Amino acid sequence: MDEDYYRKLGFRCGLEIHQRLDTGEKLFCACSTEQDSNSIGKVYRMQRAVAGELGAIDRAARFEQGKKRRFEYNLYESSTCLVDADEEPPHELNNDALRTVLSLASAMGMNVMDEIEPMRKNVADGSDTSAFQRTMLVGFDGSITVNGRKVGIPSVCLEEESCGIEKDYGEEIAYNVDRLGIPLIEIATSADIASPQMAKDVALHIGMLLRLTGKVKRGLGTIRQDVNVSIAGGARVEIKGLQDVSMLNRFVENEVRRQKELADIAKLLARSKAMVGKAVDVTEIFEGTKAELIRKKLERGGRAIAFSLSGFAGLLGREINPNRRLGSEISDYAKTAGAGGIIHSDEDMGKYGLSREELGSLKKRLGMKDGDSFILVAEKAGIAERTIEMARERAQRAIEGVPKETRVAVNDESCTSRFTRPLPGGARMYPETDVRPISIDKKMLDEAAESAPDIEKEGRMLKAQLGDDRTVELLMRSPRLQLYRAITRRKGMDCRLVANILLQKFTELSRNGFAMDNISDEKLIDIFAAYSEDKITKQAIDELLKAASKESSLKIDGAIRALGLGRITGKELSTLVSRFKKEEKTSDVGQLKKAIMSKHRLNIDGEELNNLLA
Amino acid sequence: MYGKKVSSLLESINADVMDRIRLSSGKVVLEGEVMPSTEANDLDVLIVKLSSGYNIGIDPSKYKVEKIESAKRTTERPAAKFSRNRELPDVSLIYTGGTIGSMVDYKTGAVHSPTKPEDLLEAVPEIAEMANISVLPLMSMMSEDMAHDEWARIAIAVAKELNNGARGVIIAHGTDIMHYTSATLSFMLSGLNAPVVLTGSQRSSDRGSSDAFMNLTCSTSVAARSDIAEVGICMHHTSSDTACAFIRGTKARKMHTSRRDTFRPINDKPIALVERTGAIKYTGEYRKIERGEAAKLKLMTGYDRKVALIKVFPGSDPAVIDFYREKGYNGIILEGTGLGHTPITPTRKEDSWLPYVKDAIDNGMIVGMTSQCLYGRVNTNVYRNLRLLNSVGVVYCEDMTPETALVKLGWLLGNYGKDEARKMLNTNVAGEIKSRTEFDTFLV
Repeated sequence: MDEDYYRKLGFRCGLEIHQRLDTGEKLFCACSTEQDSNSIGKVYRMQRAVAGELGAIDRAARFEQGKKRRFEYNLYESSTCLVDADEEPPHELNNDALRTVLSLASAMGMNVMDEIEPMRKNVADGSDTSAFQRTMLVGFDGSITVNGRKVGIPSVCLEEESCGIEKDYGEEIAYNVDRLGIPLIEIATSADIASPQMAKDVALHIGMLLRLTGKVKRGLGTIRQDVNVSIAGGARVEIKGLQDVSMLNRFVENEVRRQKELADIAKLLARSKAMVGKAVDVTEIFEGTKAELIRKKLERGGRAIAFSLSGFAGLLGREINPNRRLGSEISDYAKTAGAGGIIHSDEDMGKYGLSREELGSLKKRLGMKDGDSFILVAEKAGIAERTIEMARERAQRAIEGVPKETRVAVNDESCTSRFTRPLPGGARMYPETDVRPISIDKKMLDEAAESAPDIEKEGRMLKAQLGDDRTVELLMRSPRLQLYRAITRRKGMDCRLVANILLQKFTELSRNGFAMDNISDEKLIDIFAAYSEDKITKQAIDELLKAASKESSLKIDGAIRALGLGRITGKELSTLVSRFKKEEKTSDVGQLKKAIMSKHRLNIDGEELNNLLA
Repeated sequence: MYGKKVSSLLESINADVMDRIRLSSGKVVLEGEVMPSTEANDLDVLIVKLSSGYNIGIDPSKYKVEKIESAKRTTERPAAKFSRNRELPDVSLIYTGGTIGSMVDYKTGAVHSPTKPEDLLEAVPEIAEMANISVLPLMSMMSEDMAHDEWARIAIAVAKELNNGARGVIIAHGTDIMHYTSATLSFMLSGLNAPVVLTGSQRSSDRGSSDAFMNLTCSTSVAARSDIAEVGICMHHTSSDTACAFIRGTKARKMHTSRRDTFRPINDKPIALVERTGAIKYTGEYRKIERGEAAKLKLMTGYDRKVALIKVFPGSDPAVIDFYREKGYNGIILEGTGLGHTPITPTRKEDSWLPYVKDAIDNGMIVGMTSQCLYGRVNTNVYRNLRLLNSVGVVYCEDMTPETALVKLGWLLGNYGKDEARKMLNTNVAGEIKSRTEFDTFLV
């Protein structure tokens, strides 16, 4: 589909890119920003929605509150302190993070605030121990140029990373607090992205800019893309947490399709004067049922509740995305109330073991006519009622069209998304009074301009080092660009070799199951240094990479000895060649080379051997 | 308050806080609402709230500023209504101030006390299921500003509520000096026959993670359901929202600047642990409510403010005692080192506290000794220096905290003669002195 197709659909799309910064300390405390596996205990907290601006509780906050969850927080030795545990006021803002965001703002030609005002953004899903995220708007009204087209950057913010989910138990969520408070840059684009492919290109471009600051973390989850998508007749939908930027266009394509299908369904529902029936307690119909799923719940005192849907016939099962139906949309809403799932009449009733009599009684009880559908839930009392209310609400919205909502990316081949909560309203921000506002002076801005990442300049520099345009382009888009720069900063490094290994070898080994992100930057530098100092051969680099990916505490010098990877060179090599000449009783270059290399492939540089034999 | 530059600019365009303005400079146009200056701001920077919710600080001299709309006046939010349930006990909540009542104005960020303390109830609707709560706004002070005048006012208010039929009383209070208040009330409310519960919060109740909610729930449970006839503090037992501890008012102490579980019992166990749901588990000895007894509550609100608490430290100048003596003080509590020491035989002889202490006592002052160790009991016999201090008439205050000893001395001097006060200082009145130091009361 080309841009014309999307323009006709009234396609609007904007991105929010979140990138974790590689500062030594967190944004508002002196904790380490490194991953930490030394858990030192847990705390349990309840959070509730508090009255917001003008007394209104933010819509998203109230929604989460309706779920009444208790939160468990795992605390860590070097990465959690009382600030992260919501037991101490924040310290001063991290200066490194501020400098980085200012250089980025400068690179995007943004206006920077004269004074930055730290804010609290209410967060109700428990992912912040304080129930709010500290965030500040640093710059506004900038732009970038991608493939010759200008894309607006209305804002760049500096904020705190949230906790990572360890486990979602449904009624309780366990979070890891090690990640909380790591500095995060949020870059928002305007909604003038014209196609899914352009969305991907813009995301790649911003990723490149971020990496050029030399201050970003790499590895899974350290950069996340949120996409806002709407089409005419659809609604603004935010898809959060896309991890693989190469799939971004497919997520956007699927969201467009989802909105188109839902808008179509809404039209059909309007035409058939569709209506959502009232919730009816139908527990008695299923007493002693053979349908195991229902029986188990009812035996433990649960309730069965259902409602009818008139004019929905066949539509619940209509596919709106790969393997996703209107029924799945309703089910996603319903599940947020704590139920395991719902049963709807467009499913195969045989798989649940519901009898014809039971279905007959249910239809009668709900007053269903031909062409009507139903939704049924069997759950604990309380949860059953809430589940049905959520399901009814979503069914009602289907008649109206596409609901505005926040969805979460399902990071697999399907490139689809699931509902998580309604879009938050504007009433969720207020000043962080525990932190002083930050004045920005001319000196800071001048420094920012000086250190601003410059894609063209970087490209020219890499071209000079590497020669080949394709490698330069790949490297600029690679998360390992920062690493390349750190390695090649050392004298005597073979830039082309480093680039090829970081790009191709890393991808190849990752694909073969080696955890390449486990290898620290220092270790990689050691490996390449060993090569440039003639301690090992090119071939041995592979073996060291594999070994280092398996053991994070590996010492490179020790590993070279232990794995027998030391290079045989100079005199030692001449002696070896003489020995082989005697043993093999030949002076044929080809034969000799084959014999020597079959035994010492990893230890001998082919070129050196050739020269010696020639 | 903004500086002159910003104020006069706002005045010139007739714009006030919350009015919408437009700032333009070349192609850049910003629109938003004028926010009040917080004291932390650069006073020449104008704070504007954008529609995204973010506040930004702008030097207005760089922009053309226009007013585009006057503020919409906000409508009053209807107060929560709680109907009276005859089945439930009546509990009074006396509001005195502190973080527990700090409400942020979400738009401006200004923190203020609730004009209607009912707001507190609205945030924690579950407490209305345990008791009929009537809210009495007595004062609105941060606790560091309070002293004996406020303690007397609170005691009188508590007595009035109890005499009017309240089953128990909750006092919402700032945390800084809550333990001074709880100790003083323990003495002032003599013959108390009902639970009196002080509570507060370490995280303000405008945030979803506030400890105020569970503290209020558990305090209500103690006031409405327990058979404890003592004054105590009910706040988080641990950092988790799992249970609160109810700690005897004369044995409690704020031990952390910011943690939720800041209040700890010193040389004592909590009287009870109260689960988040309100279930009470008694964990220590306490005075029980006597059923069928006529009210014997006797208010004794006298307090002599001429008492001081002095911390002894290496190289400290004992002449500080003379300062208080000359100022007409009637009593001093010393926070000595270890078992209750002051320097007696230092290298610099003039640094010995002994002659100053003796002089004070000879002049009619009461001098009490506590320990800066906080945990444990002072002793008069183990070392010669202790015996010397004791022999000149220092009253060793057993296992009392320095703060409790201070307010006890003020209360004794305000209600009894000096001789009586001296005798009573190391005699138990309201659970402040225990004859046994139990093994499992250290660092709990």
